[in-house]
Amino acid sequence: MVADNVSFTRALVATNFKATVALRGAFVMQVVFMALNNFTFFIFWWALMQRVTTLRGWQLGDIQMLFGIVAAAFGLTVTVAGGVRHLGRFIEDGDLDTLLTQPQPVLVNALGLRSQPSGFGDLVSGLIFIVWSGQISWSRLPIVVVVIAASAVIFVACGTVFFSLAFWLGRVETVATQLWELLVTFSLYPEPLFGGTLRLLLFTVLPAGFVGYLPVRILRAPSLANVTILMFVVIGYLCLAVLIFDRGLRRYGSGSRFTTFG
Amino acid sequence: MSAATIGKYAAFARISATQASRERNELYGRMAFFAVILGVFSSLWRAVAEAGMPVAADPKSLVWYLAATEWILLSAPPIHIEIQAAIRRGDVVYRLGHPVSYALAEFATGFGLLAVRAPFLGLTAFLCAFAFTGWTPPLTALLMVVPFGFVASTLITALYLGIGLLAFWLQDVAPVFWVWQKLMFVLGGLMLPLELYPAFIQRAAAFTPFPWLLAAPASVVLGTHPVTPGALTRHLVIWSGVTAIAVSWVFRRAVSTVTINGG
Repeated sequence: MVADNVSFTRALVATNFKATVALRGAFVMQVVFMALNNFTFFIFWWALMQRVTTLRGWQLGDIQMLFGIVAAAFGLTVTVAGGVRHLGRFIEDGDLDTLLTQPQPVLVNALGLRSQPSGFGDLVSGLIFIVWSGQISWSRLPIVVVVIAASAVIFVACGTVFFSLAFWLGRVETVATQLWELLVTFSLYPEPLFGGTLRLLLFTVLPAGFVGYLPVRILRAPSLANVTILMFVVIGYLCLAVLIFDRGLRRYGSGSRFTTFG
Repeated sequence: MSAATIGKYAAFARISATQASRERNELYGRMAFFAVILGVFSSLWRAVAEAGMPVAADPKSLVWYLAATEWILLSAPPIHIEIQAAIRRGDVVYRLGHPVSYALAEFATGFGLLAVRAPFLGLTAFLCAFAFTGWTPPLTALLMVVPFGFVASTLITALYLGIGLLAFWLQDVAPVFWVWQKLMFVLGGLMLPLELYPAFIQRAAAFTPFPWLLAAPASVVLGTHPVTPGALTRHLVIWSGVTAIAVSWVFRRAVSTVTINGG
C-alpha cells in the first residue's frame, strides 16, 4: 500500500516536472525571475546588517540560512505539491469528483495536481543562500537536506489544514491564503524578534518556528534532541493534515461536474 | 477629454467602487496582513534600537514611516492580474470593440478599487502604528502624507496597468511583477529609508520613480530630511506623464499586434 503510494507520487512528480518544463522559455523565465525576486528582497537584510551587525544574537549569516531554508522548502512545496494552494478551490468547486473515482489517495492526487515552475527558482535561490551563509560544511549536507524536507512537509501539512477548512466553511480561499502567507512571512524574520503569546502561536497554530527557526538552530548546532523534536513535529502535523482532510472529505458535496485536469 | 468621456470612465470607477465596498473579504485580509507586518517591524525596530539605531530617527517614527509606505503600496489594487486573465481568456477582444478605451477603462476600474481600499487601509495604518508606538507624528506631517500618498497609489495603479498589458506578449506577467515589486521595495525604500542603503543603490534609485512613490511621501513622518511639497508635486507630475506616455504606447502596440480569429 505504502509502496504503491510512493510509486504513484514519484510518477506524479515526474509527470508534473515534464509538463512544467515543456514550455521551456516560460519555465526559465519564471525560475530566473523568482530567484532574482528573492535576492532583491534580501537586499533589505543585507543593508540593515551592514549597519547593525547583530540583532539579538542573529548575524547576517543566520538570516541567510533562515532565508535559504524557508525559500528552498517553499520551492520544494510548490513544485512537488503545488496543488496545496488550490485545495480550497478544488473543494469549493467540486473539482475533487474526478479524483474520488481513482484508486489513488485523493489527498496525494490533489496535492500533485499543480506544479509551480517558480518553485525551482525558490529552491535554487534557497540553496544559494544556504551556501552563501558560510555556516554549512559538506559534512552537514545531509542535515540540510533533512531540514529542508521537514520544513516542506510542514508547509504542505499546514496548507492542507488551512485550505481544508473549505469542507466546513465553504468559501475560505481568502482567509486560507492569508494564513498561508502569514506562515511564510513569519518564517522569514529572525526568531528573537518574537516573544510572549505570539511566540507560542508561531510554534503551534502558525508553525513558522518549525518551518524556519528550529531548522536554523539544528544547522547552527546539530543536536539529536532537536532533530528528534523536528521529526515528531513533522509526523504530528502530517497526521493532523491527513485526519482533517479525511474528516472533511466525508462532508464533501459533489460538484456533479465533468472536469479534466492537466 | 469631454465631460461625456470623463463621465463614461467615472462610471467604471463608480461600479468597481460599489463592488469593492460589497465584497470586502480581500480587503479585510489585506488589513490583517498590514497589521501583522507593522507588528513585526515594530519588534524589528525595537531590536535594532537595542543594538544602536543606524539612522537619525527613532524606532517609533520608523514604524510610522513603514505604515505610510505600506499604506501607499497596499492601497493600489493589483489590476494586472485581471488584465492578464482577460487577455488569456480572449475576453479582451470583445472589450476592444467597445466605444471606450480598454486601457483607460481598466485604469478607472482600478481607481474605483483604490478609492475604497485607501481609507480602510489608512485607518488600519493609523490605528496599528499608534497601538504599536503609542505616538503619532505631527498632524501637519500626516496631512501631507495622505494626499501625496493617494496620488502615489494612483500612479502605482497605472504602473500595474502597464505590467498587465505586457500579457499581450508574455504568457505570464507574474515574473515581471515580482521583480518590479522587489525593486519598489529596495529603490522605493519600502521598509528602510533610502539613506540606509549603500550609495550606489541611492544613486540608482534617483533615476526611477520608486523613491517618489514611497520614500518621499513617507519621509515626512520621519522629520529628518522632509521633502518639500513643491518637489514632491513636480516629480509626481513628471513620472505620471512618463507613465501615461509609456502605457499608452504599450497599449497601442498591443492592439496593433493582436490577432483576432473567428466571427
